[in-house]
Amino acid sequence: MSTTKQYWQDLGELTDAPQVPTNEFNTPLPLAEALSNTGLTGATTGRRDFLKFLGFSLSAATLAACETPVIKSIPYVNKPEEITPGVANWYASTYYDGEDFGSVLVKTREGRPIHIKGNTRFGINRNPDTKKGSINARINSSVITLYDNERVQGPVMNEGEKGWSTTTWAAADKAIGANLAKISASGKRIVLLTNTVISPSAKQAIDLFKNKIGGTALAQGSDDGLSVQVGSKVDHVQYDTISYAGITNANQKSFGKRVFPSYDLTKADVLVGIGADFLSTWGSTTENTWQYAVRRRPEDATAEKPMSRHWQFEALMSLTGANADQRAAVKPSQVPAVVMGLHDAIAKKIGGATAGAASIDAHTDEAIAVCAAELMAAKGKSLVVCGFNEEGTQVLVNSINMMLGNYGSTIDLANHTYFKQGDDAAVQQLVKDMNAGAVGAILIVGVNPAYSLPNAAEFAAGLKKVDLSVSFSGYSDETASLCSSILPDHHWLESWNDFMPKPGRYALAQPTITPLFSTRQWPETLLKWSGNDSNWHDYIQGVWQANMAAHAETPGSFIEAWDMSVHNGVFDAYTNAAEPAVFAGNITEAAANAKKSVAGAATGDGSYEVQLYTKESIGSGLHANNPWLQEMPDPLTKCTWDNYVCMAPADLMRITGKKDIKSLSIGQDEPAHVVKVSVNGTELELPVIPAPGQTPGTISVALGYGRGAKGERVGRAACLRNDDGSPAPIGQNAYPWTNVINGAVSYAAMSGKVEGTSKTYPLGLTQTQLTGMDRESIIKETTFAVWAKHEPKESYNEIEMITVHEDVNHDGQIDAQDKVPASEVNLWKDHAVAEVGHHWGMTIDLNSCIGCGACITACNSENNIPVVGKDEVRRSREMHWMRIDRYYSSDMTHAKGRAEGMGKIERYLLMEEPSAQPRVFFMPVMCQHCNHAPCETVCPVAATTHSLEGLNMMAYNRCIGTRYCANNCPYKVRRFNWFNYVTEKFGQVNPAWDELGRMVLNPDVTVRSRGVIEKCSLCVQQIQGGKIAAKKAGTPVMDGAIETACSAGCPTNAITFGDLNDSKSKALALSQDERAYHMLEEIGVKPNVSYLARVRNREEEPEVAETTEEAHH
Amino acid sequence: MPLPPRIHKSFTGLLHTTLAFALLISTTLLHAQADKAMYATGEKTFKANCGSCHKPDTKLTGPALKGAKAKWEGKGNIHAWIKNSQAELKTGDPMAVAIWAEYKPTIMTPNAVSDADIDAILYYVDNYVPKVIVKGPEPPLPPGGRPQDGAWQWLVIVTLLLLVVVLSLGGVKHQLRNALREREGQEPLPERSIWGNIKHWAWTHKAWASVAGLLIFVWLFLQAWDWAYHIGVYGGDEVAHYKPEQPIKFNHTLHAGKMAINCQYCHSSAEKSKHAGIPSANVCMNCHKAIDQGPTTGKDEIAKIYAAVGWDPEKKVYTGKENPIKWVKVHVLPDHVAFNHSVHVAVGKIECQKCHGPVDTKMDVAEQWSPLTMGWCIQCHNETEVPQMAAGAAPNGYYQEIHRRLTETPMGNKELQKYLEDEKITVRELGGWECAKCHQ
Repeated sequence: MSTTKQYWQDLGELTDAPQVPTNEFNTPLPLAEALSNTGLTGATTGRRDFLKFLGFSLSAATLAACETPVIKSIPYVNKPEEITPGVANWYASTYYDGEDFGSVLVKTREGRPIHIKGNTRFGINRNPDTKKGSINARINSSVITLYDNERVQGPVMNEGEKGWSTTTWAAADKAIGANLAKISASGKRIVLLTNTVISPSAKQAIDLFKNKIGGTALAQGSDDGLSVQVGSKVDHVQYDTISYAGITNANQKSFGKRVFPSYDLTKADVLVGIGADFLSTWGSTTENTWQYAVRRRPEDATAEKPMSRHWQFEALMSLTGANADQRAAVKPSQVPAVVMGLHDAIAKKIGGATAGAASIDAHTDEAIAVCAAELMAAKGKSLVVCGFNEEGTQVLVNSINMMLGNYGSTIDLANHTYFKQGDDAAVQQLVKDMNAGAVGAILIVGVNPAYSLPNAAEFAAGLKKVDLSVSFSGYSDETASLCSSILPDHHWLESWNDFMPKPGRYALAQPTITPLFSTRQWPETLLKWSGNDSNWHDYIQGVWQANMAAHAETPGSFIEAWDMSVHNGVFDAYTNAAEPAVFAGNITEAAANAKKSVAGAATGDGSYEVQLYTKESIGSGLHANNPWLQEMPDPLTKCTWDNYVCMAPADLMRITGKKDIKSLSIGQDEPAHVVKVSVNGTELELPVIPAPGQTPGTISVALGYGRGAKGERVGRAACLRNDDGSPAPIGQNAYPWTNVINGAVSYAAMSGKVEGTSKTYPLGLTQTQLTGMDRESIIKETTFAVWAKHEPKESYNEIEMITVHEDVNHDGQIDAQDKVPASEVNLWKDHAVAEVGHHWGMTIDLNSCIGCGACITACNSENNIPVVGKDEVRRSREMHWMRIDRYYSSDMTHAKGRAEGMGKIERYLLMEEPSAQPRVFFMPVMCQHCNHAPCETVCPVAATTHSLEGLNMMAYNRCIGTRYCANNCPYKVRRFNWFNYVTEKFGQVNPAWDELGRMVLNPDVTVRSRGVIEKCSLCVQQIQGGKIAAKKAGTPVMDGAIETACSAGCPTNAITFGDLNDSKSKALALSQDERAYHMLEEIGVKPNVSYLARVRNREEEPEVAETTEEAHH
Repeated sequence: MPLPPRIHKSFTGLLHTTLAFALLISTTLLHAQADKAMYATGEKTFKANCGSCHKPDTKLTGPALKGAKAKWEGKGNIHAWIKNSQAELKTGDPMAVAIWAEYKPTIMTPNAVSDADIDAILYYVDNYVPKVIVKGPEPPLPPGGRPQDGAWQWLVIVTLLLLVVVLSLGGVKHQLRNALREREGQEPLPERSIWGNIKHWAWTHKAWASVAGLLIFVWLFLQAWDWAYHIGVYGGDEVAHYKPEQPIKFNHTLHAGKMAINCQYCHSSAEKSKHAGIPSANVCMNCHKAIDQGPTTGKDEIAKIYAAVGWDPEKKVYTGKENPIKWVKVHVLPDHVAFNHSVHVAVGKIECQKCHGPVDTKMDVAEQWSPLTMGWCIQCHNETEVPQMAAGAAPNGYYQEIHRRLTETPMGNKELQKYLEDEKITVRELGGWECAKCHQ
């Protein structure tokens, strides 16, 4: 139909107003120009030809795709005898990085290390009762850094403006050797700056090096340029990134031994931590964790060994504080006062010298008094540890333990550790000497002073004045990048090493892979420069031969003993006889020093005391390049990929002007507020997280962040990416806020200025809810007193009841009183799993769980879990199959609310708010493998189904990604692959997806692709493997033979996996324990995972259990 | 015993002769049997003790043994030499010295054999006849093969006949109608081709034509759909078996069939691991150190192994220059499938041939025999009985425990009765159809 009707685009057109361009393009297209281009019209390939080519190539490509892709398979030429392709080999080894120590087992597949767990048979970190080696997330995650292609791949020299040039080991040896000779002759200091060296062989190599380079009587004339004739002093300075010098110095003063003692937490009835996060990063954590857990199971409590009572005094809510029975929030400046308070309370009773304690506040004074009384009652069976790195305070702590008779019982000085030998005073002297030009050469091993010293800038400036600076770092990190050469060390999984963590307790590390790059172990390099050409393995063997000969009890030949030690990973030669500790400390002097150390404390009015701490995940910053650890949520704040200011919610409300804590919540669309913090003139702008439990008037900031801020290559995952692809450092470096007090680095800044800003900053939190909100079917907690009565069980482990439409109480009418236990109501027929074949199940003891997160990273490594980066975490797209929910307690309860006349909604609203000083509850959650799984019934393609063995199975290749299952899961444990994480985009945060990084993948587990759901499989590959092994051996599956990654990785043995159809299995016994319950039992999904209710060793009765109708509807 | 007198004496003579003859025959036969037994004993002992270095007819690491007995006769003590060559050498035995001079420094290791064993060995090597490989019977045709063709042909023939009948009837009808019209004085109906007829019919019977068209379309679509199912890059039921060219023309029929080498001698990880594994080249060298030429390809192909492991066949030393062999993978499973050889081989006691086909009789070049589809896997799991759960099976602690749980609980018992409806407990019934068994 045609029309002549006229339409106007605007009024202007109608009224003949000046024409506005009505073209689609405001400027005319250069069509004429284009068409006049003779080149175009004269082209031999016309449009039709083009289409023909397009069509042809499309169909050709389609046809070609139908051809069989040829896959090559290349077997060994000479297969090593011990390798069977497809079967994992486990090797005993030892992890030590200067901070953590652990005897481990390394799983290798076809020569690639892919998984690490604790040594189940040997080592100081092994619980002899449970036969489990305890390691933490930092150790089990360290396998991924082996495959980091940002490692320095060979010796490199700094050629000033020309940049870095690669060289050969021979050339580097020659050049540096000649240089060392020259410097030695000049009489300047030659310093070997290391972390705490506990390797007997490395110490011997250092001595050899000292003698050769620093000694006097040396042979001349060898052509390697190494021989020198004049002696200059070679110093070995040890530096711990997180210093314990205050403690070791105090032990020097108190007992004449500059050591870090061995603690035995299994003997402590009363345990007092004062600012010491000993379950997370303080001291020998791999020992502390299992020892702590031994005394925390109420079932194991006896009259001689009661359940331990744990006190914690601290400024920030630490992992250890979260587990404490009694916790008191104090300021860092009050720590010496707390120690003095305890000291004097005990001294008064015993009659010792007092330190002159002053009152803190009524609440804390009372806590101290009660704590001191409990300590006195447990004399000889108690322990006080303090994390305040100041000598005077630590002398007082020693005095407390001495008065309590803990030396020889919970504290062993005769068999002290060799850890934490760092000497801050010597390091400070070194910095001075370097700046004065008195240092000729510095060799740096395992530490990063240009990043982590309080006066790092001064160190960096001094380094320029040193003639020869060599770093043995595996990365071109903050310090190494300033040195004149980097001679990279092996990764620990490529290394031979020996260690002696305690007198007579030898440990060995053996390589589990051939070095990937042209690297060399640093002691071997020292040997080369000392004229000893033996390789490091032979040298260690030589040292051991001499040492083992000294222990006549060693059976068999040396080679037999050596082979056995390599196999076991340890060699226990001797232990020192106990010796009485004689305390020689000066209480008055110590008290004076302690008081002096906290002078100038913040007085409010915008100033806050600043507590610096190390996180469970990346520790001192050593693990900043580990993506698994960066993405592991902090146990308390649940924040990933960042550091931030922890602040008491009340303080933050004051700064931001917000009315309640809920308005401060951080989520996908609610970024964190940013504050400006200034300490000692160094200013940082950091996001703030409201942290219940933080002492008001204080803030806490984690160390170890802001690595690679100047573009140093500190590791593939140490940086996120900006939008333009440039590296964005993760968090900010707070080390400049540390300072040296009384000869030791202090991690508490007494005064810092905090100002609010208008800026915001997005944070990636994996959990944004704070409290359990009275959901007693999720978290169940009681006190030891209630539990010990045992009767009735329901007093602390209430059975979930469901009202039914049937007269079950026979009162003649059907009403709300007709209730049956939720477990008896069934919508479906029972599965046969309970009696047929296997019935896999898991129990999680919430009393043993300390919330450390080692299970999360163990699961990452076993199940090829992708790392998604901060931005995706922020969108709640983290892929962890296992999470640890953290709940704070709330001040509000129904009873209290009703007493105050509050309505229900009001009560629930207040229950969302955590207490200022809450109790904390950790709950590991993974797929609960429900026997009546809601996810299975909604899957349109039956991709998730139930097995005869009680497993909720997932067939990825069947999943079409509707996500109905995830929506229907009451536990929210299903994860959706929003992206193909095996891409370059995610390769930025996850080296596991690049060419080299892929070597860390577990070949027994499918790598999932975009668009499918995944979740915990209860390590079904281990279950099937274990069953096949049993079938082949012709034996039933033994209890404990099959372990999931999380149960094997749990340092406190909180997770038990087993066959519930095996009447003798531990998992069955635990799931029938009185403390056992199913999470959300009332919904009737019948999970195969049980939890054991938490029991705190507190005296007071819990709130009266709500039994009225109202509370349940 | 004296014979009864009524029997003639000559008859007794005949009886005696017969008896003597029978005796003679039986002794000869017995003798022949004894020889055969000695040959067999000798063969067995030879293969167990000597076969790795000697062959009866050709020189290997040690000399060919045929005629050794005659050679040694009267010159040396061959028995003592075989038992302990170095001890015999020390006695100054001239034969021993001569052989040592030729073969040193290779030592014949002492053998724990008796004199009778040695006699048997020497008898065997002297009478050695190479075995002639007799081809085995043709294996039965795979299902869906030729047998059904006959039925199809009949169907086609009947259809064609019916079509002819229909067309002729149609023609007759047309002519009859025309004859009728002619009688009534009307125009004869136009002559139409068959196609024209169909078009005409379709035009006049639109509803029928649409239904028929739809049915034909659906049928064609389903056919195409079914056909598409058989497109497989690695071969399916009816697609040619995947049989790539390999870098070395390794012949399974020769090794596994003619030489009767156990599959797991080379694929040794099949019973230990999820992978059967391609043997490393050093396994080849266990035999090919000595055997440097094959029956069909001569020295060429075996030389490729030498190149791979760096073996100098002239000097008989390893050069250290290794060059891995890049085999082409024949059996390719998707990444999301976790198949485990060891449980099928060591627990299920399944013959390799069951899935890999007649490797030993028909596979000069390795090929994919089975479709390796999920349907194929679970079909077997559905039918196969768990051998350890069968009545009278050798005790296996794992299955005993599973059996106990089934019999000792009410629910288990119910399941067990269900399992035993077909009188056997199949792999499926013990969880062989569960997703996570293979998808992990």
